[in-house]
Amino acid sequence: MMRIFKTLALVSLIFTSVSSHGAYQLPSYEKLTLDNGLTLFLMEQHEVPLIDISIVTKVGAVNDAAQSGLANITVENLVLGTKSLTKARLDDQLDYIGASLFSSANLEFSQLGASFASKDQHQVLPLLSEMVLSPRFEQAEFDKFKKRYLLQLEQAKESPKSVINQYFNRLVFGENGYGSSVTGDHKSVNNITLSEVKNHHHAWYTPNNSAVVVVGDFDSKQMKSQLNALFGQWQKAPLPQQPTLQLATTPKHSKLLLVNKSDAIETTFLIGGKGIARNNPHSVGISVINTILGARFTSWLNDALRVNAGLTYGARSRFDAYSQAGNFYISTFTKTATTIEAVDLAIATYNKLWEQGIDEQTLASAKAYVKGQFPPKFETSSQLNALLVDMYGYGFDESYINTFEQQVNSLTPERTKALITKYFPKENLQFVLVGKADEIREKVTKYGQVTEVNIQDEQINIY
Amino acid sequence: MKLVWQTLLLISTLLAQQSHAATTVQDVNAFTLDNGMKIMVLEDSSIPNANMYVFWRVGSRNEYPGITGLSHFFEHMMFNGAKKYGPKMFDQTMEAAGGSNNAYTTENITVYSNWFPTSAMETIFALEADRIEHLAIDQKMLDSEREVVSSERTTGLENSNFRAIWEEVKGAAFRAHPYSWSVIGHASDIENWRLDDLKQYHKTYYAPNNAVVVIAGDVKVADVKKLALQYFAPIPAQPKPRAIHTVEPEQKGERRVYLQKESVTTPNIMMAYHVPNTQHEDHYALDILNSILATGKSSRLYNALISEQQLASDIFTYLPETIDANLFYLYGVAAKDVSAQTLEKAMIAEINRIIKSGVTEKELQKVKNQKMVEFYRTMSTINGKADTIGSYEIYFGDYQKLFTAPQSYNQVTNADIQRVAKTYLIKANRTVGILSAQKDSNDADL
Repeated sequence: MMRIFKTLALVSLIFTSVSSHGAYQLPSYEKLTLDNGLTLFLMEQHEVPLIDISIVTKVGAVNDAAQSGLANITVENLVLGTKSLTKARLDDQLDYIGASLFSSANLEFSQLGASFASKDQHQVLPLLSEMVLSPRFEQAEFDKFKKRYLLQLEQAKESPKSVINQYFNRLVFGENGYGSSVTGDHKSVNNITLSEVKNHHHAWYTPNNSAVVVVGDFDSKQMKSQLNALFGQWQKAPLPQQPTLQLATTPKHSKLLLVNKSDAIETTFLIGGKGIARNNPHSVGISVINTILGARFTSWLNDALRVNAGLTYGARSRFDAYSQAGNFYISTFTKTATTIEAVDLAIATYNKLWEQGIDEQTLASAKAYVKGQFPPKFETSSQLNALLVDMYGYGFDESYINTFEQQVNSLTPERTKALITKYFPKENLQFVLVGKADEIREKVTKYGQVTEVNIQDEQINIY
Repeated sequence: MKLVWQTLLLISTLLAQQSHAATTVQDVNAFTLDNGMKIMVLEDSSIPNANMYVFWRVGSRNEYPGITGLSHFFEHMMFNGAKKYGPKMFDQTMEAAGGSNNAYTTENITVYSNWFPTSAMETIFALEADRIEHLAIDQKMLDSEREVVSSERTTGLENSNFRAIWEEVKGAAFRAHPYSWSVIGHASDIENWRLDDLKQYHKTYYAPNNAVVVIAGDVKVADVKKLALQYFAPIPAQPKPRAIHTVEPEQKGERRVYLQKESVTTPNIMMAYHVPNTQHEDHYALDILNSILATGKSSRLYNALISEQQLASDIFTYLPETIDANLFYLYGVAAKDVSAQTLEKAMIAEINRIIKSGVTEKELQKVKNQKMVEFYRTMSTINGKADTIGSYEIYFGDYQKLFTAPQSYNQVTNADIQRVAKTYLIKANRTVGILSAQKDSNDADL
């Protein structure tokens, strides 16, 4: 019990005040650091008897370098059994109580966790702790996993929508950094061995590089003592050298990656360029503008391409933001024959941001919309858990949430003009088109310098 | 030390049980307007928002050849203008009030959902009432929307193997009942249905007596009642739509379909068995069997075919909620270098193992535990609550059955599971679909 009292002294309680006009505020939570450097986030939510817990480690595809896919494969292997439990017994125990287990990596962090009934807290937490601290890493299970994983890489290419973003990141950020592939490709994955997975786990999974995020129906005091007992002995260690991220430079010309899928019946495409980082102080204002452009049903893009022209089932735009940079893209799809018509219309509609700008009435509608749609984003324990995980993983704080309404309210048409000029890429747009190349190859050269690859290709050299 | 721990545990467990407010049947306030529209309200102030789900008893089962896909198409047309709110105004008005919406169509129902800050509730009532009573179907909007729906159909087929083979399997499994075609419909029907078809459809099916409305969120029952009386009560009732009387004749031998698609990596297999509808007494046993087969990594199919024998790379089962007798689906994607035949045989072997030896008490208890957690997860959002309450009202005939579902699942025995497997999951009652990159032709066959 002594250790817990010591830890409690380090607790930094974060209370959020409810503002006078009742704007949405993130529910209060506790953030504290154990002696070994492990960060804990605890947020009690008692509406339903469920708990969502995630263990996050700051290592992702940006750290993979030549071993593309390693971070993702490592975290996926953590859930294949522990020192004391085979994979089959672990699966049995969690399934029996209806707990759902998840594990995944993205460009910058890896996480595993579970969602389960609060009455099972004392059964699930020790299992999660064992998965992270003493995974089984058994050769037979690794081999099975790898075989299936390699096949899944091939299967992903069956659907343009599941692979197009990776091509786009590669185009905007280059081969490394944020252009890295989270899943890896057939060749890189084929070369990854179990001992490399073990080394990766040993090097990066340290308490000083990790956080445990718990949201749901529990008692904080008691949760802290349990987490301390389970994770307090985890040994702190120095981290490997972090690579310097190569951030995207402003492109000197437009490039177009044409990905041939020979049985395609439609063309799927993204158009865009550099975006913003997660902690961008203007991200709320930028998101309101993007709502008008392509993030609601009446948005300009959806209205033009779907409602007026009937070219597609849906057209949208979005910013994908990471800790230090991000991208922006328009995305839609259309039947092969109307590819050029749809791309042209998407570009013309996008240019309205500069040519026409945003008027008072449109802005007022978008403001009401984003404010009205905000609270349901943070309704459940699992949504709040994901938010706290992102805050830790991408390094931003709740000011985004707590000042959201005020920031939305303060946006003016003049201000949108400045934000558009600064943050929406205008010159030298980048394009990825996935479709039947034979039928569109000749016509797409007008958009930029074309590189053509086949969807089955591993190696992509973009000039 | 140990004693302290145990005490702490006990106290916290008790506290936890008292502190959360689980939804009960008394929390749902139901009433019916004079025109036959049934409305259910659930107050929940966890966020300052609310929703409105309007369930219409119309889906692809109400179609016939020539107008296949019309229910889904109609779902699109409901957003394209009425009397007070003309073309585009439905979405523009709703979004400017802070609301958003969506809709979905199934074989059985069409559901419209609106999500909004509570302050916008009256606007939502006004918008819904206008399009229910006065939808204005315009030829120009119809032509443009046809293209949108064609794109929706194409993008489904382009990106989903399941969608591609599902159409074929349904077509073979049903030769009489309208479940035969996909909800999105045949391409040639999408291209050719007429304005009159749509007008007739609206009059027949979009009558208040054919709807169930659920509102959940930060609202007061009295406020909802007031708005319902003002906006929905004046909409006139219509004659009850003609019942769908077609019963699919009993299948007496296996049917097989094959679909070639070049980009498919390894063969996909869909097996579909005819089963009774959701209100049939065997539903709960079939649903538990569904979970025992493929929910979680310890499930029968996942464990045997993916973990142990490594014959599949993906596996799942699907038992849709349904008004008429429908299908129980098994879906498997072959592992690398595994043939469709090998995977099919292994899937059938697992079914036969249950027919022969039943399931264990532990498996049965596992599913009951899983159902409980799923229930809590569904009830953790106002949308989960509204959608589930409405679905129960339609498929089980009474929303109150949602709250007795745990008991209904608890009553299912090992013998029930074995009996339903033996009754329904048999060869003569099965349609098998194979999706593969390989062309279904061989000159040597001729």
